[in-house]
Amino acid sequence: MNSPVIEAQDLRVVMRGRCVLDVPHVSIHEGEFVALMGPNGAGKTTFLRALLALQPIAHGSIRVLGQEVHSLPWRPLAQLRQKIGYVPQLQPITGDMPLTVREVASMGRTARAGLFKRLTAEDWRQVDAWLEKLGLQYHAHHAFHELSGGEQRKVLLARALAQEPALLLLDEPTAHLDLGWREQWVQLLQQLHLETRRTFLLICHELEVLPPACQRVLLLRAGRLVADGTVQKVFEGDRLSDLYGEGFEVWHRNGRHGVVPGGAP
Amino acid sequence: MMLSTLDLALWAPVMVGGVLAGASSGALGVYIVGMRIPFLGVCVSHAALAGAVFGALAGLKGTWMLLPALAGAMIAALALGLAKPERFRTDNNTVMNLLFTGSMGLAFLGLGLFPVLGKSDHDVRALLWGSLNYCRWPDVWLMAGVTILLFLFLVLTAKEMRAILFSRTDAAAAGIHVTLVWTTFLILTALVLTVNFQTVGGLMIFSLMTNPAAAAFLLVRGSNRALATAAALGAFSGLAGFLVSAITDLPTGATIVLWSAGVVGVAAWFRSHRR
Repeated sequence: MNSPVIEAQDLRVVMRGRCVLDVPHVSIHEGEFVALMGPNGAGKTTFLRALLALQPIAHGSIRVLGQEVHSLPWRPLAQLRQKIGYVPQLQPITGDMPLTVREVASMGRTARAGLFKRLTAEDWRQVDAWLEKLGLQYHAHHAFHELSGGEQRKVLLARALAQEPALLLLDEPTAHLDLGWREQWVQLLQQLHLETRRTFLLICHELEVLPPACQRVLLLRAGRLVADGTVQKVFEGDRLSDLYGEGFEVWHRNGRHGVVPGGAP
Repeated sequence: MMLSTLDLALWAPVMVGGVLAGASSGALGVYIVGMRIPFLGVCVSHAALAGAVFGALAGLKGTWMLLPALAGAMIAALALGLAKPERFRTDNNTVMNLLFTGSMGLAFLGLGLFPVLGKSDHDVRALLWGSLNYCRWPDVWLMAGVTILLFLFLVLTAKEMRAILFSRTDAAAAGIHVTLVWTTFLILTALVLTVNFQTVGGLMIFSLMTNPAAAAFLLVRGSNRALATAAALGAFSGLAGFLVSAITDLPTGATIVLWSAGVVGVAAWFRSHRR
């Protein structure tokens, strides 16, 4: 098996005196597409933030791309973060600045270019290439906040991919999207993983958004890792009922998965 | 004072000062308004006022009053910019309100002490409302220095500031040195506001920070264009406000504020008719 891209050992995160994440061990290997699932408040985003050293940990260690992220001085940590593409949850726009789509996507090249240095022609070529790849070239000079939620998320994905990351972290990229956009995202992630063979860690709530490339699910509940395996294995038996209450059934077909209310006709 | 009596040797530094104050405040405003924290300008300028008041009470005059003003402004800017209010289950607005009212309380407490101590508060009151008499060539050189410093910083860190403006968390996650760039920006903010204090006064700075940036956001897309437009509109407001003041003999600060507010109105009208 390939070397671990992410390896957490005895990981514990404490917030306001409460343990919100307690993971004895988990490792994700190079080229894997892994989904991190679980109910609201299970600790999924906290885990992602801890991977990026945006969230302090109380105990244990996290190694990302072979480096212990929580003991790195600032410069090596910044260099490590440049290798991690991060697509955050889409927040309401908090600023009024009419940043263009191209400017937002170019932020993926900012740290790589270095402080006080301008982006090079190669940086802009990468940015434009990813915008085109994701079908955003016609929006390049539009203001980011003028785009729909689905398009904005694609811009954030373009930003992360422009970093040329070894690891891609996606935090609920399909949340609140309509069926058409959601399916576009599933196909896009499938295609990107096949083409790039990078390591993907996707946080999501719905089985329907897992592309066939996703062969492994980590299931968190109340900060604890309760299952780790294939989608079929993780959601077999009464797992969904345990998590969300009675009356759900899981289906699997052609590498895709879904949930239907069990009592439905 | 009518414009016909204008003595260029006397008023040229005031005009240049107005342009510089408008340009630098307008450029700052792009980031302050862009992050929806325009109240930061009010807090910082009033903290500078509080510093100046106590500096004057201690016997400082003229340019020397900038030192305590700068100290007050920097404390407020750094407190606001680096505070993590979520740790105390509050938010930025509450922290800004606390600092603003605290600064105002201190400033008025200091103002109240002038008659008690038998001192004149003329210099400080001039700071509060802005006074043409404060701007001379040495002041202009100082303003030009900090304006050049600010633009140099904004040009050199344009891409980092853009990322920070979009999301400080995302910028940090991408490996950008957010703390260094943001703290430097806050220090420059305090410096620019304090130095501009003499020309347009504490209350007027707020309008030159907010209005040109708001107008620029209505007119253009893209951070570089917004920065250039806001700086140009700020400079235009500073100069035009002064000229109106000189012609009509109205208070300079008030005319600059009203002019810059008018620019926002025109920009809004232009945008609504462009669509």
